[in-house]
Amino acid sequence: MHSVTGVDPHLDIETYDPSADLMVLNLGPQHPSTHGVFRVKLYLDGEIIIKAVPYAGYLHRGVEKLCEELTFVQIIPIVDKNDYVSPMMNEQAIAMACEAMLGIEVPPRALYLRTIFAELQRLASHLLWLGTFGMDLGGALGGGATLFMYCFRERETILGLFEEVTGCRFHYNTHAVGGNRHDITPKFSCDTKTTLEVIEKRLEEYVQIFSSNRIYRARTQGIGVLDGDLANSLGITGPLARASGVDHDLRRDAPYHIYGELDVKVFTESAGDCFARTLVRLNEMYESIRIVREIIDSVPEGPILGMKPGKSPGHIKIDASQGYSCIESPRGELGTYIIGGGKSRGASAYRLKIRSPSLHAASCIPYLFPGHTVSDAVAILGTLDPIMGEVDR
Amino acid sequence: MTRDEAQQRFVALLQERFGVEEIPDDNYPLIDAKHHFELARVLREEFGYRIYSFVVASHYLEKVDAKNDNAVIDIEHYEVATGIRCVGAPAHLASWRVRVELDQSIPTLFPLFAGADWQEREQYDLVGVRFDEHPDLRRLMMPEDWEGHPLRKDYAIETACPPWR
Repeated sequence: MHSVTGVDPHLDIETYDPSADLMVLNLGPQHPSTHGVFRVKLYLDGEIIIKAVPYAGYLHRGVEKLCEELTFVQIIPIVDKNDYVSPMMNEQAIAMACEAMLGIEVPPRALYLRTIFAELQRLASHLLWLGTFGMDLGGALGGGATLFMYCFRERETILGLFEEVTGCRFHYNTHAVGGNRHDITPKFSCDTKTTLEVIEKRLEEYVQIFSSNRIYRARTQGIGVLDGDLANSLGITGPLARASGVDHDLRRDAPYHIYGELDVKVFTESAGDCFARTLVRLNEMYESIRIVREIIDSVPEGPILGMKPGKSPGHIKIDASQGYSCIESPRGELGTYIIGGGKSRGASAYRLKIRSPSLHAASCIPYLFPGHTVSDAVAILGTLDPIMGEVDR
Repeated sequence: MTRDEAQQRFVALLQERFGVEEIPDDNYPLIDAKHHFELARVLREEFGYRIYSFVVASHYLEKVDAKNDNAVIDIEHYEVATGIRCVGAPAHLASWRVRVELDQSIPTLFPLFAGADWQEREQYDLVGVRFDEHPDLRRLMMPEDWEGHPLRKDYAIETACPPWR
């Protein structure tokens, strides 16, 4: 038992009170609140959950095996589909891992572009979370799909910005080992500032919806309290851990891109419940807007690719060394562990492991669900924000 | 403390208490399997490495020297790399590797890190390495009745049914 709440995730249901009125309920695999395909087997005593057994793997596509077959250049569009809500982050994680192992220096302009893309993507990802969470809670946030539609409207403007640069709304394939593929135009900076102004103004309205809504507070405050020690021990990072009082953010603590030059504010909350997780994400959205505004006009001139572009997909070769590098994605530490020296004399990885923050987040379900009702389980699952494409890979 | 100082402290710990002689430049230190749990415990309780970061298992086939009458250089084995991290700056990552023979298993880190539960299940499922005294060593990604472990190097991907050729 790890939790201070005394929840045993491997509770033997046979030893439970024999006079209890037990029922088994499957939440998923196609329940809307799972935001993908995910099943949680709930053991209920009356209306209270006493044990939750999650089953992952419904979206398992064998990405890690695929990465052993394809070359490093070819896997970048593949990993886009892992965390399909923030594809920019997946690309950056893979590109950075290769660069770190090959010792390639990325030009400053590309680092600025990556930082801007990362923060815009974080904003878009959190907006999508806010919208779907509003839908999970049903009427608590303005009724049905209202907030969902609002948030998708805002997110669409950010995807429009990405489309302007890369030609794709999604799955951009804009990062390469050594830099970026697509450069921004002067118009991009102007458009971004206009978009951020609109989003910032509308975020104020959404905060109003939260803070003044009694139903919303009743459904989130004190629900699904995650202890900070348990979060660390489970490997949970990102907004989830910060809402439990863990003051840890790779952007500040182990800076990459140009975060070392910026003063990234890290927001923490001590409550660890669903409401705290909402607040942390909302504050992060404002911080992302601030960071983009700060650097959008100071992007230096220069090349965006730090190496000579190769002619064949196998031109990047990594020998039999091993390395791990990670970034702070909207869900926490997104890492890539590469063992080099695979097929075609090192043009593909011998073993490539994607350390996905969503899998760690989903692993706290057996600790958080017991003691709550089924409707609370939906609220908890919503604030954990696991992306199933990334959980299962 | 900077990240370099934290790394030096970690290397000193490995050399003084866990008998590691050489730290490779482009790789993580290889330690003896019997020290695996103890190293994780010392790092967690004495050095404050609280965040469970990753566990990566990999499978290596038998290696032969084709020029020298197919003499066996290395037998088939697993390798398990583990990484744990300290909270806040400098967010240093302490990682090490353990060599596990085919018929051996490795102690689970579940008593120290609750996250080891799912992560080790995933590695068992995909690679096949077994973890001792794991509370619930079931498959995580593949269906329960799946045969074989997909990330092993002897698992062919061309066919969709056994014997995987």
